[in-house]
Amino acid sequence: MIGLRRPALHQGFPRLLTIGLLCLLSAKSWAVPSFARQTGMTCAACHTVFPELTPFGREFKLNGYVLDNIKQITGIDIDSRQTLALNSIPAISMMVQISYTHTSTALPDSVLPGALAKDGEVLFPDQASFFYAGKIANELGAFIQLTYDGAADHFGIDNTDIRYAHHLSFGGTDGNSHNMILGVTLNNNPTVQDVWNSTPAWGFPYAGSSVAPGPIAATQIDGTLAQSVAGLGVYMWLDDHWYAEISGYSPAIVGGTHPLDSTQSNVAHGLAPYWRLTYEQRWDRNSLSVGTYGIDIRTHPGNGTPLQGPTNQYKDVAGDIQYQFIGEDHLVTVLATYIHENQTLNASFLDQFAANASNTLKTSKLTGEYSYQRRIGGSLGYFSTTGSNDTILYAAAPVVGSANNSPDSSGYIAELNYLPWLNTKLQLQYVDYDKFNGLRSNYDGSGRNASNNNTLYGLVWVNF
Amino acid sequence: MKSFVKTDVIRNAVAALSTALLMVGIAQAADVSAAVMTDAQKATLQKTIETCSACHGLSGRSVSPTFPILAAQTAPYVELQLHAFKDQTRADPDAQAYMWGMASQLDDASISALAAYFSKQSAAEGRSGNATLIAQGKQIFVEGVPGRQIPACASCHGAQAQGNGPFPRLAGQHAPYLLKQLLVIQSVLRTAPVMHGVIKDLTRDQMQAVVAYLESV
Repeated sequence: MIGLRRPALHQGFPRLLTIGLLCLLSAKSWAVPSFARQTGMTCAACHTVFPELTPFGREFKLNGYVLDNIKQITGIDIDSRQTLALNSIPAISMMVQISYTHTSTALPDSVLPGALAKDGEVLFPDQASFFYAGKIANELGAFIQLTYDGAADHFGIDNTDIRYAHHLSFGGTDGNSHNMILGVTLNNNPTVQDVWNSTPAWGFPYAGSSVAPGPIAATQIDGTLAQSVAGLGVYMWLDDHWYAEISGYSPAIVGGTHPLDSTQSNVAHGLAPYWRLTYEQRWDRNSLSVGTYGIDIRTHPGNGTPLQGPTNQYKDVAGDIQYQFIGEDHLVTVLATYIHENQTLNASFLDQFAANASNTLKTSKLTGEYSYQRRIGGSLGYFSTTGSNDTILYAAAPVVGSANNSPDSSGYIAELNYLPWLNTKLQLQYVDYDKFNGLRSNYDGSGRNASNNNTLYGLVWVNF
Repeated sequence: MKSFVKTDVIRNAVAALSTALLMVGIAQAADVSAAVMTDAQKATLQKTIETCSACHGLSGRSVSPTFPILAAQTAPYVELQLHAFKDQTRADPDAQAYMWGMASQLDDASISALAAYFSKQSAAEGRSGNATLIAQGKQIFVEGVPGRQIPACASCHGAQAQGNGPFPRLAGQHAPYLLKQLLVIQSVLRTAPVMHGVIKDLTRDQMQAVVAYLESV
């Protein structure tokens, strides 16, 4: 999401200066027309306005992306067991984003030589993605995204979720029986497997500038671990009400040296447990979900230090609420989440990447969205991250540092969307910072104000 | 009441009744065939029903009024509609958005089996609403609107709105869904030969009254 991802906490200066903003890549999320081709249904069946899911979209995902209404290439064995069920049309999609970013005050080139596209420049593409998104076999489906990032000039794996789902009924006759989906998910980003848009991977904002400055701190589960871990989990969806999931995440950093060594950073250690519990109630045209999620992960700072010995431990405990009203003409969504992170920085403290042996971070997000006939709409979001001061983690530095050693940032995101077609979005977004890295004025100690980072972001987003 | 029913309405009604008799025959045949389905066919049917339930609710009792309640719907009507979705002859916006895809791969036997399944589910209970509106709606349903030459809905849909062959059950149906259907039928976005003539002069206020009544039944 917009610049809300920070450089990994263990990184000290001056590395932060050189790679800081390159880490501010947006956690972006998509909708994919191959699902429409597979199901024969329009985008509106699964999305209010893409990529936000409707209740049916949530069911589709929980069922493993396998619902199909096209001719299948099938095979059975001698016991009539299905050995193959393959879409006759491959579930391939493509997405292109073209963007324009204007930051209130341009970044000083002397601080970040050649690191970023210049302010006020068009990125063509901002991102371009290929997807396999759809059915693989009878109860097996996948959402696999490969993305070319225009700002980083890099092509690689993006959000991926491969899942198996089995449906069963028990405990009574029709009408009184319980219905359950049991599933397994294999993914590379905690919460990418989630079906509510109140959790980070698919949360608001759904697209944002990858070149504008972003706050220095974010919790681990809020995008920091995206595409650097591999998770395997089991989930249950009971009676269209209860969702429960337990997953475990291991390091799976892509690129760089392998086996992973000290040149890497923020490398997960061992198996990190992730949990999710949600209750959803639907009535009339409304749905309301209330849930909790979190992760307990240990990491090696790396970044020049060996991937052994003491580790940092991050315990993220979060709550979230989502409300949707899906009318014939009017659609309203409210999203809220609160993440509390306890950091025990044994490794970073020892390696002098952090001044404190323990820190906390607290992130709040509240978003309201409105759309008229899925054609024109807008969103207003508030975001805030606060936490304990740390003189090394949050040291003063031009643009990316904090003069008062604070991770506190907050502000608003306003967005206007126009969708001439269901698979095409024209977006205008403005990010307004109240506070940036601890202060409103001269936050970096070099004379830059929080408002200097206010960003206008225009986006053409097409999926086909 | 019958005296002001137009000739074309009568002609369409006769045609629809003929279709109804045919469909009842098909449904009965389907019922028999359902009894002799193989285990694999039963499993496929069960999976299809689970798919339907994602929108139409468990046992066909949907929560969102975007999607109609199918529980206790007449089998011939469900069958006719599924064929119309598959053939793309029912072309209102929601039909295209959702059902053209969903029905595209259904074969005749599956359509019959689904229709039989939903027709056997226990009906959703009516939900009370604005009493004045409901009373107005009941009058339209039972007596029609003589001044506008609109016949009684009950004459085709049954005294209790329970449906009759190809004439759908309306009792307990979501009011917003029914209102939308009346509007798309009136504007001919949805083809329904009998209904085009019947409701062409029905006002929006009258529609809202009658759907409020039907939801309450």
